[in-house]
Amino acid sequence: MKTIPVNLGIEFCGVKFSNPFILSAAPPTDDLDMLKRGLEMGWAGAVLKTTSVEKNKVELVYPMISGLSFENKKVVGMGNIDLISEHHIDLVEKRVEALKKEFGDERVIAASIMGAKKEDWQGLVKRLKAAGVDVIECSFSCPQGSMGEVPGAMLAQSVPATEMVTRWVKDAARKTPVVIKITPMVADIVAVANAVKKGGADAICASNTIPSLMGIDIENFIPNPNVAGKTTYSGLSGPAIKPITLKVISELSKTVGLPITGTGGAVNWIDALEFILCGATTVQFCTAVMHYGYDIIEDLCEGLAFYMEEKGISKVKNLIGKSLPYIVGHDDLSRKNRVTSNIDLKKCVRCGLCYYACQDGGHQAIELGRDRKPEVDEEKCFGCGLCQSACPIDGCIELKESEKPRKIAIV
Amino acid sequence: MSSKTATTLLPEERRKGFKEIHRCYEPHQAYLEASRCLMCEDAPCTQGCPAGVDIKKFIRKIRFHNLRGAIREIRKANVLAGICGRVCPQELLCQKECSNTEIDIPIDIAALQRYVADVELRRSVSPPVRQFAQKMKVAVIGSGPAGLAVAANLAQKGYEVTIFETEAKPGGLLAYGIPPHRLPPPATQKEIRYIKKMGVKIKCNTKITDIDELFKKDFKAIFISVGLPGARKIGLPGENLKGVYTALEFLKDVIENKGKTKKTRIGKRVVVIGGGDVAMDAASCALRLGAQRVDLACLEGYDEMPSSPEERRISWEEGVEIHTRVMPVRIIGSKGRVTGYKGIGIRWRKPGLFVPSNAIPIPGTEFSLKVDTVIEAIGQLPDTENVKGFKRIETAGPGYIVAKKKTFKTSRPGVFAAGDIVNRGATAVQAVADGNAAAEAIDAYLKRKSKHRVTSNQ
Ligand SMILES: Cc1cc2nc3c(=O)[nH]c(=O)nc-3n(C[C@H](O)[C@H](O)[C@H](O)COP(=O)(O)OP(=O)(O)OC[C@H]3O[C@@H](n4cnc5c(N)ncnc54)[C@H](O)[C@@H]3O)c2cc1C
Ligand SMILES: Cc1cc2nc3c(=O)[nH]c(=O)nc-3n(C[C@H](O)[C@H](O)[C@H](O)COP(=O)(O)O)c2cc1C
Ligand code: SF4
Ligand code: SF4
Ligand code: SF4
Repeated sequence: MKTIPVNLGIEFCGVKFSNPFILSAAPPTDDLDMLKRGLEMGWAGAVLKTTSVEKNKVELVYPMISGLSFENKKVVGMGNIDLISEHHIDLVEKRVEALKKEFGDERVIAASIMGAKKEDWQGLVKRLKAAGVDVIECSFSCPQGSMGEVPGAMLAQSVPATEMVTRWVKDAARKTPVVIKITPMVADIVAVANAVKKGGADAICASNTIPSLMGIDIENFIPNPNVAGKTTYSGLSGPAIKPITLKVISELSKTVGLPITGTGGAVNWIDALEFILCGATTVQFCTAVMHYGYDIIEDLCEGLAFYMEEKGISKVKNLIGKSLPYIVGHDDLSRKNRVTSNIDLKKCVRCGLCYYACQDGGHQAIELGRDRKPEVDEEKCFGCGLCQSACPIDGCIELKESEKPRKIAIV
Repeated sequence: MSSKTATTLLPEERRKGFKEIHRCYEPHQAYLEASRCLMCEDAPCTQGCPAGVDIKKFIRKIRFHNLRGAIREIRKANVLAGICGRVCPQELLCQKECSNTEIDIPIDIAALQRYVADVELRRSVSPPVRQFAQKMKVAVIGSGPAGLAVAANLAQKGYEVTIFETEAKPGGLLAYGIPPHRLPPPATQKEIRYIKKMGVKIKCNTKITDIDELFKKDFKAIFISVGLPGARKIGLPGENLKGVYTALEFLKDVIENKGKTKKTRIGKRVVVIGGGDVAMDAASCALRLGAQRVDLACLEGYDEMPSSPEERRISWEEGVEIHTRVMPVRIIGSKGRVTGYKGIGIRWRKPGLFVPSNAIPIPGTEFSLKVDTVIEAIGQLPDTENVKGFKRIETAGPGYIVAKKKTFKTSRPGVFAAGDIVNRGATAVQAVADGNAAAEAIDAYLKRKSKHRVTSNQ
């Protein structure tokens, strides 16, 4: 096997990262010893959990986390009703100082902030700058709402407010890069991102958790998490939201043109690579770390490096946005594409799932022959791809180009 | 458990020849199995692996789509990943304490290990480059798993390692003992080629009879891993009849002749004496060579047998008739050929001690079997010629080498030993584990020695 030497290093807003993987603003970045442990293991940087000025009280409730299971899989998604850090800027600035002292330029130390008034935002920025922070990230998208005028609303749900606050922050930050963390829960995300750009930010963090109701205990009718008999809406993170994040990243990369740090649903290096292929420069992790521990960084780095070695791609930079040209509007898709389902009977286990799917959700193009052998009627098959998604065996059903025209039966 | 699973051939199919019993996972099967692993903190599986493979970590790497990382992780602790993935009695080792046992069935760790090794060897990944050449020569006697592990480790550290092997092919009992349906020879040779790529030289058809010769040829340290090539015999009346073989000669014959035999002849009705894995292998090979009935008679009760439960289950599935708690009385013959086996039931004098001297025959339980072939599989012994050639090295009993625990130093400076010849017969993975430790000790010894020489030269 031929391989080439690769370098995982990447530059983001003029700051050098030893690899594209970062700890996002969340519990794994809300304790100095934990942060040190994570950074020592190889994370390129950390965004310290969102903090605010001392007068903004943060009162947390417990329990705050609920997992989303699907069949036998735990933590397909994770809901939280956490707030920003209980630790205020006085402590966070000390953490930044300590981490910069310990790691120097080896690791990137970013900090996430949230304020109510202009003085809050600007004060936070100045204190973090003085502490030596490398990047400032602003949470405009806490699912429990921002500290603004409208209770419960996120800052990034208002285009003018987004632009105004971004400008406040950038004015104070000057040369220090500013990243705005937005929410996908808006009608027009491009408008929000453009407001971020206009406000003068250096990059976008896309995107935060999705407001959700995590499920209900049907015995007592109380939804999760049950806080003394009541609940509220959670922020959903983890694998379940990855497709949403990919959509947001690719859409913003195509239209706005600010660098992006991706967050929302990445667990392994393939997920992270997908973020990058959609246009992200770095990728942040929270749920995966909370589930499996900091040491997944080893697999992220090895996995991506091996992939690049084998692919002959020496720099992460060359991967950014590589999939964007293949994403177009629906109108621009070919109407001439004619594919049909092909079943590899050597791999097939005769479960009949494709048959079910095609009967009740497709076009009745699959018949079960003798010995439950599935057979595709090419003339009836539309090539919709449903059977392929349903088949439990990888590579058993493939969609291949077909010469045979479809026979249209209109009943 | 059902005998039909995706990766195991059905008994009928198995009996037809020497096809490998277990198929390698397809990617989706490996992924599914890996995703069952709980990835336990302080994983108990790793404590059970003699070589200390970081199992949770390598399984996590499979699950996180990092197969190259997974194999690298395994080979750090066990260079014979693919071989051990096939032959380790995992239910007695890593799998024994698997937390998943409390949920349903333990993770098939060995199958996952074999999967990543097979994928790697198929893609012909090169081993990591050696650190730097030390230009010091080390000799290894015997190319079984202990010798291969020592050699691979020392080559990685930059030593010039040569393995000397009596037989025509390297691998020790991996090449001449374990039958092809459990360990196909190409799988063994592929992994050995990988070790050669690390820079290890292997000289076959070379029996070492005098270790002083090696020291004279400028080898600075010697590692002895000659195993137990001799076969123990019971000393029964009738043992010299035609048709009586030892399991080792029979299995070697089968392997050398690719599933046929030249020196041994398997008849229609066979009895195998012994209750270990070697006995199971002999019995399953006899079935594959066309024996109509194969009986296996052993001293131990079903749960007392030293063979791995998995091997026992497999032999039983294939149709081996197992007689437990019996001992042989004599082999019956006519015109110089075997015609029967006579045995008697036993009970134990002291409970829990499963050795012949502790067995008391129960009068009235005599029985006989009509057989034309008898295979003895009751244990292996050191080669007596070796004992003579290895001068000034302390031995015990019939010629087991005495070596220190952990460092594997023998009584002679610069000579180390491990594997079956020291532990008196264990497993391949134990040989690898001991070889790993011995390599560290040899490295430390040579470093000390070269430092000493440098300073004394000044
Ligand atoms: C039939 C059978 C089935 C087994 N099944 C399993 C199993 O399923 N799982 C498992 O883990 N273990 C199994 N074992 C045990 C396992 O094979 C041994 O524990 C292991 O091979 C011991 O390794 P070793 O390196 O000490 O010696 P060996 O593998 O015995 O290798 C020693 C080598 O040294 C060579 N040699 C000896 N003297 C000299 C000399 N003077 N000069 C040069 N070369 C010499 C020999 O030719 C031989 O190749 C089985 C053993 C047998 C016999
Ligand atoms: C318990 C918890 C607390 C979080 N706290 C913050 C926070 O204080 N500030 C913030 O910007 N994001 C916060 N997040 C969001 C994460 O940083 C991350 O963007 C989100 O979980 C999506 O990524 P993931 O799928 O990798 O977890 C939090 C997430 C969780 C699960
Ligand atoms: S879903 Fe896949 S495995 Fe099942 S019958 Fe159809 S083709 Fe075969
Ligand atoms: S004990 Fe079992 S479940 Fe736990 S890490 Fe080891 S293999 Fe996985
Ligand atoms: S080497 Fe053997 S005992 Fe160790 S983990 Fe692998 S299969 Fe289990």
